[in-house]
Amino acid sequence: MNAPDQNLTALLRANRPAPELPPRFRQNVWRRIEDVAAPATETWLDALAALVLRPRFALALAAGLLLAGMLAGTLDGRHLARHDAQLNYLAAVAPHAVR
Amino acid sequence: MNRSLVILIGALALGAAIFAGSFFCARHTTMSCCEQPADDLNWLRLEFHLSDAEMAHIRELHEGYLPQCGELCQKIAAAKQELAALTNNSPEALTKQNEIAALRAQCQSNMLAHFIAVSQAMPPEVGQRYLTEMKKLTLGDTGQMEQSMSGDSAHEHQH
Repeated sequence: MNAPDQNLTALLRANRPAPELPPRFRQNVWRRIEDVAAPATETWLDALAALVLRPRFALALAAGLLLAGMLAGTLDGRHLARHDAQLNYLAAVAPHAVR
Repeated sequence: MNRSLVILIGALALGAAIFAGSFFCARHTTMSCCEQPADDLNWLRLEFHLSDAEMAHIRELHEGYLPQCGELCQKIAAAKQELAALTNNSPEALTKQNEIAALRAQCQSNMLAHFIAVSQAMPPEVGQRYLTEMKKLTLGDTGQMEQSMSGDSAHEHQH
């Protein structure tokens, strides 16, 4: 029972199709292996992202922005309030009919 | 998209939101704190840091001046309405224009006299600053216009 099977197996092996490999297949395989094995190069963008993700730095940056926004807002608010008050005073003492 | 780029864009957006939020909150709080819309003299208090006694004196001057100013303004407004009803270039229109000009001159003269009186109620340096500022604010525009019309552009008016 085994002899015909062996023949059949041998026949199938002999007729197994061997597809043609694409050009430079071997070089490409080795290149990809080398790319994966090599350590990833870090760009300045990665370094900056890593810095931003550090809790101390992120907290300090948020606090700095909060303070800067409050300072700028206070100065701008004072300026606007003075301007509005000036317009009120001018409207009272120097109506547009005169100016 | 690159992961680092996404992180940085997110951080930038968060930072902008923090800055804008604190900016607008602080501005709103400061404005509502400083503003006293009912008081015309609030600007003098904010800008010139006057004492209570000086403010009281200025308030007295201010309240004495307002009725005069209001009366002249009403006369000007009435004369302007009458002028609008008249035909252009008629002798009556010219008379009315002269009347309005005289009223405006009187009003302006009163206004300047008031500014001088107010400046004298302040400490000398502050009073001088106030007077300069008020002249610039009230007479500055017309002065600039007159200068521009009498200066380089005068030759263009040949009609």
